[in-house]
Amino acid sequence: MSATAVEPTMAGGESHDAHGHHYTSTGLDNRKIAIWAFIGSECMLFVSLISTYLIYKGKSRVGPYPHEAWTDPATGETFKAILNIPVTSFSTFVLLMSSLAMVLAHNAVVNRHVKRTTFLARLEGNSFFWLMSTAVLGIVFLMCQAYEFTSFVHEGLGLTTNLFSSSFFVLTGFHGAHVTAGVLWLFTLASIDKTRGLTPAEELKIDLCALYWHFVDVVWIAIFVLLYLIK
Amino acid sequence: MASFSRFCRIFAGAQMFRGLVPVARTAVLLLAVAATAGAQQYPNTSFNYTTEMNEAVTHLWDQLLFWATIVFVIVEIGILYIVFKFKARPNSPDPKHVHGNTALEIAWTAIPAVILAFIAVPTVKTIFMTQAKAPANALQVEVIGHQWWWEFRYPQYGITTATELYLPVGRPVNFKLNTKDVLHSFWIPRLGGKRDLISNRTNYLWMTPRDSMAMKSLNGSCNEYCGSSHANMKFRAFTVTPEQFASWAAHQRGPAVYGAVTPQSVPAATPAAAGAAATTRSGQIGAALADAAAPAPVGFIFPREKLDPSSLPSATPPSSIGFTAGLAGDAERGQKVYSRSSCIGCHKVSGNPMSAGVIGPNLTHFGSRYSLGGSLYENTTENLVRWIKNAPAMKPGSLMPAIGNGEYNPAIKAKVTMGGLSDQQIADVAAYLQALK
Amino acid sequence: MATTVAPPIYAPAAASASTYGEKTGVWSWITTTDHKRIGVLYLFTSLFFFIFGGLEAAVIRAQLAAPNQSLVSAELYNQLFTMHGTTMVFLAIMPLSAAFFNFLIPLQIGARDVAFPRLNAFSYWVYLLGGIFITLPIFAGLAPNGGWFGYAPLTTMAYNPGLNIDFWVLGLQILGISSLAAGFNFITTIINMRAPGMHLMRMPMFTWASFVVQFLVVLAFPVITVALVFLQFDRFFGTNFYTLTAGADPLLWQHLFWIFGHPEVYILILPAFGLVSEVLPTFSRKPLFGYAVMVYSGILIGFLGFGVWAHHMFSVGMGPIADTVFSLTTMLIAIPTGVKIFNWMSTMWGGKLTFTTSMCFSIGLVAMFTIGGLSGVTHASPPTDLQQTDTYYVVAHFHYVLFGGSIMGIFAGIYHYFPKMFGRLMNETLGKWHFWINMIGMNLTFGPMHLSGLLGMPRRIYTYDANQGWDLFNMMSSIGTAIIIVATLIFLYNFFTSLKSGPRAGRDPWGASTLEWSIPSPPPEYNFAVLPNVTSRYPLWDVTDGHDLSREHHEGHENRDDRVPTSRELGIPMPANTFKPVMAALGLCTMLGGMTLKHVNDVAFYVVVGGGATMLVVSLYAWLTSPLEESH
Repeated sequence: MSATAVEPTMAGGESHDAHGHHYTSTGLDNRKIAIWAFIGSECMLFVSLISTYLIYKGKSRVGPYPHEAWTDPATGETFKAILNIPVTSFSTFVLLMSSLAMVLAHNAVVNRHVKRTTFLARLEGNSFFWLMSTAVLGIVFLMCQAYEFTSFVHEGLGLTTNLFSSSFFVLTGFHGAHVTAGVLWLFTLASIDKTRGLTPAEELKIDLCALYWHFVDVVWIAIFVLLYLIK
Repeated sequence: MASFSRFCRIFAGAQMFRGLVPVARTAVLLLAVAATAGAQQYPNTSFNYTTEMNEAVTHLWDQLLFWATIVFVIVEIGILYIVFKFKARPNSPDPKHVHGNTALEIAWTAIPAVILAFIAVPTVKTIFMTQAKAPANALQVEVIGHQWWWEFRYPQYGITTATELYLPVGRPVNFKLNTKDVLHSFWIPRLGGKRDLISNRTNYLWMTPRDSMAMKSLNGSCNEYCGSSHANMKFRAFTVTPEQFASWAAHQRGPAVYGAVTPQSVPAATPAAAGAAATTRSGQIGAALADAAAPAPVGFIFPREKLDPSSLPSATPPSSIGFTAGLAGDAERGQKVYSRSSCIGCHKVSGNPMSAGVIGPNLTHFGSRYSLGGSLYENTTENLVRWIKNAPAMKPGSLMPAIGNGEYNPAIKAKVTMGGLSDQQIADVAAYLQALK
Repeated sequence: MATTVAPPIYAPAAASASTYGEKTGVWSWITTTDHKRIGVLYLFTSLFFFIFGGLEAAVIRAQLAAPNQSLVSAELYNQLFTMHGTTMVFLAIMPLSAAFFNFLIPLQIGARDVAFPRLNAFSYWVYLLGGIFITLPIFAGLAPNGGWFGYAPLTTMAYNPGLNIDFWVLGLQILGISSLAAGFNFITTIINMRAPGMHLMRMPMFTWASFVVQFLVVLAFPVITVALVFLQFDRFFGTNFYTLTAGADPLLWQHLFWIFGHPEVYILILPAFGLVSEVLPTFSRKPLFGYAVMVYSGILIGFLGFGVWAHHMFSVGMGPIADTVFSLTTMLIAIPTGVKIFNWMSTMWGGKLTFTTSMCFSIGLVAMFTIGGLSGVTHASPPTDLQQTDTYYVVAHFHYVLFGGSIMGIFAGIYHYFPKMFGRLMNETLGKWHFWINMIGMNLTFGPMHLSGLLGMPRRIYTYDANQGWDLFNMMSSIGTAIIIVATLIFLYNFFTSLKSGPRAGRDPWGASTLEWSIPSPPPEYNFAVLPNVTSRYPLWDVTDGHDLSREHHEGHENRDDRVPTSRELGIPMPANTFKPVMAALGLCTMLGGMTLKHVNDVAFYVVVGGGATMLVVSLYAWLTSPLEESH
């Protein structure tokens, strides 16, 4: 052991490396650590929301219900099972594809220096295209959700109808809000990419957005399975 | 392990603490006295051997207290010892930099774990014992919490009453707990076992009051914060012999013996009530009561002289509610006023066909109760007239409106004018209610 | 090892004991991103709320001094106890801990600032505005009145139609955002900003305790956020989460609240444990006994803290199986907690104890927390808990934990770190008076509550009847509260006079061992002129191991230079002052706070909420697109 337990290593100015990054203990950027902490926190948020939905499953005193038809004893009016599985399967597929586009966008930025000659190769390297694709697929998903919500309301299931509707709309609404935030983030990145082109050194910017986007996607898979597929 | 044995030697031979022994003994004695003292001094103590349930709980508590005391004494005396022993003195050398001792640390992880095992086993046993299903012969009592009073129903006897609970000794009683509004918690400290009343759920709690508990008046309270008058949501439990209970129940299931006996607690109403007894049978509405009122003797009522002092509320009405002095109430007039007033919208008096409300407490045998307003006030004429006149001023947040003329009614944010009662009318209604034995 | 080198010094000494860097004036404090200044802001704000919460308690105790009193109305009393709990938990103890997180963590791990300095400023301003938002309504009689754990359905529109609960729901959402932002910030700071050689197992105990706490914050707060969102939607948009007529289960709230609420208890106590773990070794002149075990027990407490929530609910009738499970997990938590107590005692064992005020408070914590811990074990047993829950016995229990534990630890921290924060020492004589009077006052206040509770007194009652056997104990508690007030006045006098005229502290008045003591007091804005290279857990001790740390030698260094060089002179890039986080905080609080207008006026509701949202988005955009540091 050395005589001194601590010794000066770097003068202040030298704590920045050539790229102007601060010294960090792990070598990772602070934002990378923070987004993982954020995602951990978000997990608890969605776990609470999904648990509430499951706790209230089958506890609604009046319909309409998600998976079975219901006749109002007062009016004799019949409501069919409310969930539209084909539409949601489509939107789930769209969201999964957006994650693929996100991966390709990341790949395009990181491999910016690769020489590309064929059309397909150029397409593969077009980060703006992939970022926009991700965002547009996200918008398609949101439109499906908007369609779903409006048709539910038309069929007699509003936010305040029963326990199912309250927990369903708040849970999927929260998820939709997360998708919306992701779409705005993607558009911001796309506009930066369009104006000056993201460099491989800025990989982190895409990386953070991708982590978030994949997380939101994974949450949807859980929602799709637990709310829509399992009766 | 060397330092561990040093620990032990020091504790064994700690001369300096010999002097503390009598002090500690006295302290523990005082604590014990405080905790298990007689009902007179501490009428709501939670340490009892009055039911099989609280006997088990008190035994468990004793074990917990035993282990907690040992740990407490070791830690606190240890701290005192360390503080005196290792105080920095001039020229004392710098201490060696000890970073830890694995054996010691394992020891004080393992020893508490063993102690906890000693606590855990009886705990789990007692959990299953106290939460077992109630015996089939149990007396069923439905407890319904309201903001802020208690309703009690005896489905096996067809009785609905409020605020005062009669329990026969020697027979298990199974409380079925429900609430009409927010959460409440049902607790009779002397019988043991608190349980919450949860909206949209039903809880149960059962116990068997020992024979030795006959003729006791016990206090109960709401323990889950439930709004403005949470503090005023109290009740009484009277433990009586099976014979007394049978007599009480037989009478309670029917209408009141209207004005048969003047309760001792309402001296001011005496002349009116006595008069009422004579005149009722010819009264218009009284005719409906005739069958029940005629010959039946009043069933058992817990005798006033056996009430524990803690069971008679000592609160006095706020001075802001004035009441004309010297008014004599007339029960017959009172019955008519009552039956035309807004009272009947919320209250039920069996035998009075006009009075069938279910929102407020059932008043069928109101005259036989010792307290009113959720055991907030003693049931005296002075308190009752003010209660009728302006309940919200008597009990914060009370859902019963003010109905005295000119009183401020917070429900409509205005003074009572139309349909309000005069002081004389209120005195009459009070006389009527107190005659309902 | 046999060297006589002086402890390392990482920054030139300060001549003035009252500045933080070159910037002065109110504006420099409003726009600051310096973690030390933000720590000081947290300290002053949370002390203010601590006093405010204490005054609420004083009124409560005055009302309960004797039976059948009517000093305050039932409605006001219910607001007072709700706000006393809410204030002490969310506005006093948590941010008092945050004051130390902010001030100390970067210093202890050898960093120049936190990972996200502007987010840090944002956290503080959101906390301040949220605190004001939730506190002010009491002056209009509109303060929250549902108890600090706000059980549904009492908090729903059906049973509580006033604005009271709206202030509570929205205020807690605002404060939650502040805590979450700080949580992400400190997790990142501790993982990523440690000086070279500052391995996880070399971090000071306070930093470790804070590290665990930040994980509890980021994992527990989303759960209460969801519970509050449900309540907010129920109250504002008519959803059914707690609507009884729709078949809602009131236990949903209780489970969600306590999944947050129990980790919250450790969020409140672990920082105090950390502070005590700094003080005890310093004044025992011995390293912390069993450092590794202390770290693991802290982690274990945090981990188990998520598995015991339902012990708050033994009386709701969960059934014997659930009662058994939660009873056993709760008992398990006693083990790591006990280990901490014994390790602290062993730290002192064989040491050379100096009884500074901070040392007294630390020993006070060990002694008093033990009582709270032991009464906690009696709650862990559901059958006995049924006789105790929601009585004053529980009130006694958690005050021994929170006052005897958290507050004692925080006072220890204040006396210990005051010289580092302000460059001056607090008066030790007054400190001792404060300690002893406080100790007598707290035991007289909370000790008798054990008895009044076991003798049947429910909690949260605004008055009680005579003849119940509770009069004596309540009078004792009320007298005790008056004594605590005297102690607190002595503390405040000491605090503010020492701030102005206390003796200069120098770098290291206590002969402590960790990095923060190697730099001037108060530290320059860049903390460390050179980033330290850490090779030991006690860098300042191991350097002079066994040798006298000569004061003269120390002074010699201090006199070498009269002036602290600025970051500019040293070429150290520091975060620029900025107003954007304040604007973002203002926007956020306007947006959320403005929602109360929904029940007052629709137009005002849309204007204010929309205005707040716009302000938030605009200032966030400006914030995210501007660089952190001034260009040199």
